Amino acid sequence: MAFSGALQLTDLDDFITPSQECIKPVKVTKKSGKTAAIKIGDDGEYSQIGIDGGEVKLEKATITLNDCLACSGCITSAESVLITQQSQEELYKILNSNKILLEQGKSDECKYVVISISPQSKASLAVKYKLNANEAIEKISGFFKQLGASAVYDVAQARDLSLVESGHEFIRRYQDKETDKTALPMLASACPGWVCYAEKTHGSYILPYISSTKSPQQIMGSLTKDHLGGGRKPDQVYHVTVMPCYDKKLEASRQDFYDDLYSTRDVDCVLSTLEVDEMFKREGIQLGDVIPAPLDSIYGRQGSAMNHPNNGSGGYLEHVMKHAAKEIYGHTTGDLKYKTMRNNDFKEVTLEIDGKVELKFAIAYGFRNIQNIVQKVKRGKCNYHFVEVMACPSGCLNGGAQLRPEEGVTQKELLAEVEGVYDENDATLECGSDELDQLYATWLGGRNSDKALKMLHTQYHAIEKETNALGIKW
Amino acid sequence: MALENENPLVFEAAKDRQITPEEEDDDVVDKIDNREVFDLIRDINDPEHPLSLEELNVVTCSQVHVDDDKNEVSIQFTPTIPHCSMATLIGLSIRVKLLRALPARFKVDVQIYPGTHASEDAVNKQLADKERVAAALENSHLLEVVNQCLTSRKT
Amino acid sequence: MISLQSIAELEAHSDRVWSVSWNPSGTLLASCGGDKTVRLWGKEGENWVCKYRLEDGHQRTVRSVGWSPCGKYLASASFDATTCIWENKDRDFECIATLEGHENEVKCVTWCSNGSLIATCSRDKSVWIWEVDEDAEFECESVLNAHSQDVKMVLWHPTKEIVASASYDNTIKMFKNDGDDWSCFSTLASHESTVWAISFDKTGERLASCSDDKTLKIWQEYLPGNTEGVATVGSDSAWKCVCTLSGQHPRTIYDVKWCSLTDYIATACVDNAIRLFKESDCNTDKNQPSFDLLHTQYQAHTQDVNGLCWNPKIPGLLASASDDSIVKIWQVVEK
Repeated sequence: MAFSGALQLTDLDDFITPSQECIKPVKVTKKSGKTAAIKIGDDGEYSQIGIDGGEVKLEKATITLNDCLACSGCITSAESVLITQQSQEELYKILNSNKILLEQGKSDECKYVVISISPQSKASLAVKYKLNANEAIEKISGFFKQLGASAVYDVAQARDLSLVESGHEFIRRYQDKETDKTALPMLASACPGWVCYAEKTHGSYILPYISSTKSPQQIMGSLTKDHLGGGRKPDQVYHVTVMPCYDKKLEASRQDFYDDLYSTRDVDCVLSTLEVDEMFKREGIQLGDVIPAPLDSIYGRQGSAMNHPNNGSGGYLEHVMKHAAKEIYGHTTGDLKYKTMRNNDFKEVTLEIDGKVELKFAIAYGFRNIQNIVQKVKRGKCNYHFVEVMACPSGCLNGGAQLRPEEGVTQKELLAEVEGVYDENDATLECGSDELDQLYATWLGGRNSDKALKMLHTQYHAIEKETNALGIKW
Repeated sequence: MALENENPLVFEAAKDRQITPEEEDDDVVDKIDNREVFDLIRDINDPEHPLSLEELNVVTCSQVHVDDDKNEVSIQFTPTIPHCSMATLIGLSIRVKLLRALPARFKVDVQIYPGTHASEDAVNKQLADKERVAAALENSHLLEVVNQCLTSRKT
Repeated sequence: MISLQSIAELEAHSDRVWSVSWNPSGTLLASCGGDKTVRLWGKEGENWVCKYRLEDGHQRTVRSVGWSPCGKYLASASFDATTCIWENKDRDFECIATLEGHENEVKCVTWCSNGSLIATCSRDKSVWIWEVDEDAEFECESVLNAHSQDVKMVLWHPTKEIVASASYDNTIKMFKNDGDDWSCFSTLASHESTVWAISFDKTGERLASCSDDKTLKIWQEYLPGNTEGVATVGSDSAWKCVCTLSGQHPRTIYDVKWCSLTDYIATACVDNAIRLFKESDCNTDKNQPSFDLLHTQYQAHTQDVNGLCWNPKIPGLLASASDDSIVKIWQVVEK
């Protein structure tokens, strides 16, 4: 399992190998005494031998994903931890226990299983199984419903909310730019690899610039647990997302998305595109043979696959630019022109009115371009108003958990194909709709309500560098 | 989280070395021997326990080798448990102590006693890398811990 | 008979000296080390004197220094995770930029032959390529995570846009621009411990490397379609170890420098010695060259020798840096 490059670079431990348990040493107050000894058995288990000769097996300390997120140390070494906490096995466990409960006639105790599929994962699977985008998502939906899922959504619907909310946030920041020095540039927040890197490495310098709008995955999480459960309590709903990158697992595990009252997360389990493909193998099916099932819709009607114009990472720049041009300048933009700058992953879009550049936006994908943006922001030399930042080169369609090319096909060729399928049902969906406005009213009680803030926005936390010297890697 | 090895076996410390009249005579060229080097490192504190490396049997006199003519000192130390995550820190403390106490002409090797640690090669490699050691000693937090290990508890 | 004659002993650093580097015209020698400063030495009359002291650029050890090909800029890499760019302004050197981005210790900095790119490497395992634009602004062009450990040194090919790196992971890697990004096209694996330093010969067809495994190795480039039948991939050349010199160094070798004027190879060793090697004349097969140890300067310094640099203009003039805080200048004498 590999995280995005941004995460791989954060201060790594040279000595923890995946087979070793991560140990966060603690300082203890000194005490004397020689009451017991530690014995290591042939099986590698540690036992404590007391003065009376009694043996007590010592528990192995295990590190949770949460510990990893809160630690400024290694990240890639924690891979094995992730595998056990979020995987298809966990989903199967829930589905099986549902089955048993049903057999026992305790259907009311069953979890309501919701699956949310990202358009990027859909496109990756569609290419592999030679389906078009619509067929693919309905067949994936059919697959999960057959397994026992109650509802299957397209994450693009939540993305609609994320985009609209980002647009509003930008206008607000733009209006505050004279009084708040950290209002602009607004940096997109949909990529958890980038957010995690910023928190671990650049802390308070960068975090205020990052958009507080939740990512599509987490807005889907809020919707699922708070609105779409049909009156069920959040812990009665089991929410699984299907995502193109492993960093999304880190995002779902953030404390910010944990409900203390019900001890549950907005997204209980994140499956990568690769893991879903493994499920197909395990079930012995070809996606093409699956009987399709219609998607559900967050608006309570039958859903259909949808997409937002321009680019596989969500189209944040596209929407925020169009929205800002209209709201701030009363200007309706046509197709935006993306000007390639230093490399293909760094592009610029400007809004010119009467020959004057009014807005300057950029797309910065991949670690090298993130670096240049971050350093410029730190020095106060970044003259962009908005930057769509993503950790992976080529963006989310090229996520680390997308399906690998088959033999004889290059990564580049595969990516081109995935992009092709992805753009297929580009039904020129404009952000927002009357339905969406209604959702704001019925679910959130209006656009700027406290609930809207809670459900659609989040916070970031600078992670202090490790100062417990016993744990310092040198 | 608890200590990895909460209550380790404790060994009796060796007797203090008798100082011979020759040693006190400044006119006699006094070669550095293994007992002298051992005396430098035996009182180093374990990072986690209120015990010395000698009391924990991490260092012994017989695993100190000195060749004064060749300017070579080599130390082998034995971590208390094979997965001891403090092994590099203990090795670093030994190295720093000798760096500070021995004449600069000495080439010092600090290694794990063969077969006593799961990551023996990796730890040895790191301890032998003087660039890594130099960088470590510029880290004030780490230096503080090393200095604590090197502060004698004896008065 | 070959020997090394001591020309000057430069004392001013208050801590170990890590690295030395001559400017392209061979008139200034930069040195840096544990005292967090860079010093520039030049000749006044017959005497070598410290002409500049570059302070306040770094908070920690300065590990390496590198000159731009035009000689106007000097880059310094530090354990404080930054790289400073110093510009020679009339009578002073001024820090005009600080390259930030590495997570921790920067180990080496080097300019490419046309001066448009800089490479840095770090304990964070990465190699970074920086682009220098017209206004002397530095932007990150690529971050290369090919090594699995600490990267000790980076070096540009003398003529091509190829950068080579040496690592604690025992390998040497070569990188080139692939169109949109940089990527590793060759991994030179044969050393059994940390590769501390590498040096191209004047043609760039050969590379010398030295290691914690106490050996010196010579690598030969094989172009696609080579007559020797060495397998290559696509348009990339392959690099093969054609000579391993073991037995001459009793301890870790920290530096190796291949002189482009005289073809001597000089090594810096923990045993306080500087050694000089040269390819044997009697052997003409480039696939199986042999190198002779021509001279060992025992006790060249009183402690570890850390760095070396051949003067680019005066044949056989060699500078050395040591843990004993002294920079020395030597002249190869052939009798």
